[in-house]
Amino acid sequence: MRQAAVLGSPGTKRAIYLKKGAEAAGISVRLLDWKEFPFRYTAAWEDLFVKIDPPLWESCCLDELNVLAQDYKKKLQWLAELGKKQQITFLNRPEDISALLDKKGCKIRLAEAGIPVTEELEGSRRADMSSGRNAAAAGTAGMPADRSPAGAGPAEMLLYAMEQHRVFQVFIKPVCGSGAAGTAAFRWLPSSGQMILYTCAIEDPETGRMVNTKRLRRFTDRKQVLSMIGRLLELDCIVERWYAKAEHSGFSYDLRAVVQNGTPDFILARLSSGPITNLHLNNHPLKGEELGLPDRVMEEVEQLCIRAAGCYPELQSAGIDILLEKGSLRPRIIEMNGQGDLIYQDIYDQNRIYLHQAEIMKEWLYKI
Amino acid sequence: MEKSKKYMYDYEQFENGKGPGTMVADILSDPEFSQVSDLVIGCWGESWDDSCQIILDQIVENKEKFSHVKSLFVGDMDYEECEVSWIVQGNYSGLWQALPHLKSLTVKGSSDLVLGEISHPELEALTIICGGLPVSVIQEIQNAKLPNLKKLVLYIGIEDYGFDGSADTIKNFLEKSDFPKLVHLGIEDSEIQDELVQVVLESKYMKQLKILDLSNGTLTDKGGALLLETLPSYPNVGELDVHFHYMTERMVKDLQALPIKVDASERYEPEEYKGEIWMNAMLTE
Repeated sequence: MRQAAVLGSPGTKRAIYLKKGAEAAGISVRLLDWKEFPFRYTAAWEDLFVKIDPPLWESCCLDELNVLAQDYKKKLQWLAELGKKQQITFLNRPEDISALLDKKGCKIRLAEAGIPVTEELEGSRRADMSSGRNAAAAGTAGMPADRSPAGAGPAEMLLYAMEQHRVFQVFIKPVCGSGAAGTAAFRWLPSSGQMILYTCAIEDPETGRMVNTKRLRRFTDRKQVLSMIGRLLELDCIVERWYAKAEHSGFSYDLRAVVQNGTPDFILARLSSGPITNLHLNNHPLKGEELGLPDRVMEEVEQLCIRAAGCYPELQSAGIDILLEKGSLRPRIIEMNGQGDLIYQDIYDQNRIYLHQAEIMKEWLYKI
Repeated sequence: MEKSKKYMYDYEQFENGKGPGTMVADILSDPEFSQVSDLVIGCWGESWDDSCQIILDQIVENKEKFSHVKSLFVGDMDYEECEVSWIVQGNYSGLWQALPHLKSLTVKGSSDLVLGEISHPELEALTIICGGLPVSVIQEIQNAKLPNLKKLVLYIGIEDYGFDGSADTIKNFLEKSDFPKLVHLGIEDSEIQDELVQVVLESKYMKQLKILDLSNGTLTDKGGALLLETLPSYPNVGELDVHFHYMTERMVKDLQALPIKVDASERYEPEEYKGEIWMNAMLTE
């Protein structure tokens, strides 16, 4: 008999509100607890439709991000193999969730499809120099490798790349991070040497490790800024041009859209009084329609999100972050997430996102 | 019909050759401009490297075409576009004569800012928003001939971003300046906000003010107590703006009990680090 299940953690909002959505759709959904991983009795997983929620991560040490991400990717690989063996149907395939953990890979795929993205600053990492990767694929202008400063550290490499491209404000993001973990906004004025770094990351004075906090700080001391940038870039990072974001009522914002089976189910604006907008940072959220944007802008955003989701055709539920450029309101995709479906403004309102997921499950359950 | 319009360049436009040198031509070629009385000029490209001087100069050159402008804001950009302290401003000396019917001027950023010899019979409002106001600019305003000035708002800021004075500088400014019609005074965004509260409360302008703005700074209960004690002597003051402050909830309640309109929103707690208390003004962090 066909069954629907969520692989998640009991008591989380994701699990609770998916269950509510399922009840509203008239189906029941089994909860498979991540704590049981690796599951020993998978024979019963046949004829199963599975939605994978992210496991609970507790570490705030940024140097563990990659390890955690790699560990998670292994679990997803295990699920992918099991899925093939047992013919499991997934809401989002583990392969796609895994692919979207890599912000860089996602950006390349979108850019190849001609979708406007926040451009990566090529040449800002040593790896870029040696890989000789086709920079045009990611919508960037490449920097010749032979002009890189010899023996430069990661921070110097970044400054060099910024100067080469005349891009003096960038975002630095761990390739595998989530929840603004390790994200930094960096601005440099070469004529005066002034530097400003906005980040939630700090160096733990006791352990010396870089840790993530939920507070955005601003650093201006050149030595300290360069040291922190160096530490952040030691993680596997993506460096992007920092575009001025659109503003509403004195707050800058970006958008999080949830697109499911080709339909934009929810668009949320994340308003912030600092350059880093993220739902984990207690930013002020607002429903997209409350921004009062012209219809043509919202339509353009929706179409762009549908096209972006279409780049991952097996992905039935995508969380997509979009930036609207200040002034022109031109949209660009910042990143996509295969598990970016938890929107408080929806679950406490109509619970549209999880209800739609439950409807997808229901359709599968009763499909002949 | 009164109309407000902002002109600015985004990244794509800058990459396509737009910059301060093209701003005035673009404004003048806008068919709506003849109806724009409230002109706002935002990011002019690499505003951290390129001064807005050419914009100011070209406004002066085309002064007849700007004669309908009643309100001018130069540098309306937020932290997404440019740090306030990095905005390269310009010399406004020529503007006073060129725009004799201007009622309001707002300038954001104080790097390279020169106001020159200010003489303008009709100007009613002057606002300087910045991370640090140089004494040279304070003195230019101090010597200004603005007989009709009703509103003056100055962001004082901090030394790192250009404020090279002290509470005495502001005391001197308030003593020596002459704005007979001033009813709205803002001395804000300072890390010596308590001292500035005292200086303002002791100034000659207290007798004529209707709106007192001491917001966006490191105002604590010390300054709050001075306000509480002194404001009842000035029934002419009907509005107090102290939003963004470090006062206690108790002090906020006491101030809100005054029979005037009080904005004491955005209360912050000082931070303690290694035994030291840290507070910052709004535009300095």
